[in-house]
Amino acid sequence: MEPLIRTVNLKKYFDVSGGKLHAVDDVNITIPKGKTLGVVGESGCGKSTLGRTVLRLIEPTSGEVYFEGENITKASRGELKELRKKMQIIFQDPFSSLNPRMSVFDLIAEPLVTHHIYKHRADLTDRILELMEEVGLAERYVNSYPHEMDGGRRQRVGVARALALGPEFIVCDEPVSALDVSIQAQILNLLMDLQDNLGLTYMFITHDLSVVKHISDEIAVMYLGQCVEHCPTKELFANPMHPYTKALLSAIPVPKLRKNFTRKIIRGEVSTPIDPKPGCRFASRCDYCQAGCTGSDIPLKEYSPGHYVACPHCVELMEKKE
Amino acid sequence: MAIPDKNEPGSSLLQIQDLNVIYKTDEATVYAVNGISFELGRKETIGLVGETGAGKTTTALAIMRLLPEETGFIKGGEIRFQGEDLVKKSQPDMREIRGAKISMIFQDPMTSLNPIMPVGDQILESLEIHNSENLSKEDLNKRVDELLSLVGILPQRKKDFPHQFSGGMKQRIVIAIALACRPELLIADEPTTALDVTIQAQVLELMRELKEKLGTSMIMITHDLGVVAETCDKVAIMYAGRIVEAGSAEDVFEGEKHHPYTVGLFGSIPNLEEETDRLHPIDGLMPDPTDLPPGCPFHPRCKQCMDICREKMPEFYTSGEHRIACHLYTKGD
Repeated sequence: MEPLIRTVNLKKYFDVSGGKLHAVDDVNITIPKGKTLGVVGESGCGKSTLGRTVLRLIEPTSGEVYFEGENITKASRGELKELRKKMQIIFQDPFSSLNPRMSVFDLIAEPLVTHHIYKHRADLTDRILELMEEVGLAERYVNSYPHEMDGGRRQRVGVARALALGPEFIVCDEPVSALDVSIQAQILNLLMDLQDNLGLTYMFITHDLSVVKHISDEIAVMYLGQCVEHCPTKELFANPMHPYTKALLSAIPVPKLRKNFTRKIIRGEVSTPIDPKPGCRFASRCDYCQAGCTGSDIPLKEYSPGHYVACPHCVELMEKKE
Repeated sequence: MAIPDKNEPGSSLLQIQDLNVIYKTDEATVYAVNGISFELGRKETIGLVGETGAGKTTTALAIMRLLPEETGFIKGGEIRFQGEDLVKKSQPDMREIRGAKISMIFQDPMTSLNPIMPVGDQILESLEIHNSENLSKEDLNKRVDELLSLVGILPQRKKDFPHQFSGGMKQRIVIAIALACRPELLIADEPTTALDVTIQAQVLELMRELKEKLGTSMIMITHDLGVVAETCDKVAIMYAGRIVEAGSAEDVFEGEKHHPYTVGLFGSIPNLEEETDRLHPIDGLMPDPTDLPPGCPFHPRCKQCMDICREKMPEFYTSGEHRIACHLYTKGD
């Protein structure tokens, strides 16, 4: 079956003073309908750029994005406007993504008005109240302004805006990172309920591995613009293969007392994404770096069904460990 | 005043008794900290955990006496540091203590460093201010080099400006500044929240090493229970300006009895090691600190709320060091 979203060799380079910044470099991902792909990585790894390029909020440098089998990289403005109804985004910071001078009503109405969905005001009002109920916002907030609400409620407005046009695909760009843990859990539960009820497909971008584990069916781990490991969620946590994924998993503080736990700390910091040298981009921080790791790019390879890793030595590393 | 032996671990360094802090504005009074008490021994680390608005940072600012002058007031209580009450100190006296005996690391290294001053000079600044031994400029500069290598930064880079460093490196420099005068107490306010996980792991490791090496006591303010589990000996869970549960790390992470808020906090975190279909968040929101509910501040969100919870603030149930402020455990008394 054709997946809902498929990217082929997607690239986005930004021109900066020092050369070309490789934000997204040759990324191939697929998201089946009704599933969630988690995109994990640290700041600057290109995960947000990937999300925006998939929606064509940013024009790709090269490569293609297919939505329901259709190449949308060449879609015209008019076609794109129709597509926008089907693909939406929820942003990280509900403080800066909502216009402070618009009420909740106007904020949720905006996409519906832009796309001339309803002829009559009464229908519009009904739909807005329905959406508010769907995202768990009490009706009394309908005339409130963003500053009158806390972060959790503001993010619910963000979710309602994304849902207004009845999309099939939503990019969630760190939707819970700005929220307190107890509120974060409420929003995560809401997103999962909405997916069950409406059959939504998510691309869930986050730096928080425990959140991504909770919500995703599959996970793509990104490092400096490239996808270094891509596999089903369970497989990733049971059997991480790329040295970067392993280090990332080991770095998470777990809310449990672990007496004899020794962490593998990775050295150094992320190298520059401006005109990177060919070869594994993690090589300079990797303990297992060998001669073959630099010089030429390392493609993703399927090591077990559905488990893709961009590391030529990952199998030896697994064996060495056991 | 007799100062107890510095090297004896566990002997008391800081005692906070019934501290109350308010913020007064023309419109309302914010009850930010409402009668908290805790004690910190030498070489110990206590974690203050809670969500936004729980009063964690206000507590830290009260200890440093850095509350905003016009609006923030300590309304009662004692902050005994090495036996002396900091609440009664004058600002000039506090200036001697701040940076030298108690120092603080702020959340965001991007904004806590001066962008137009080389980082070496920023470390030198605090050494010069607290130069009680009258060391020469040369010796102080040597000390800057030592501090930079201590936090893992090449001393050659001391002429560089903050923007030339990454977030993790900047936080290392902030740590170097905080430790410059070998303080007895270090207050770290969300020191790793702005950093990526792999860098967070490096910085936490560094802080742990330095704490061992220098024997500093620490107050770790965070919302991340994972960070607490890794760094703290003691934990105090805060809610609406009160400590609702406190004890040793074992008590809070592994004990049998807990405050319902603690249970909710743990239930909200997706677990990396177990499979869960749904999270169990705490319903509702933090109460408005200008208008706290009567009785237990958590009762409007509590699933086990009883009649008494709406009327009476619970006393602490205690079992050894473990304290829980909840009527569930005190009603038998």
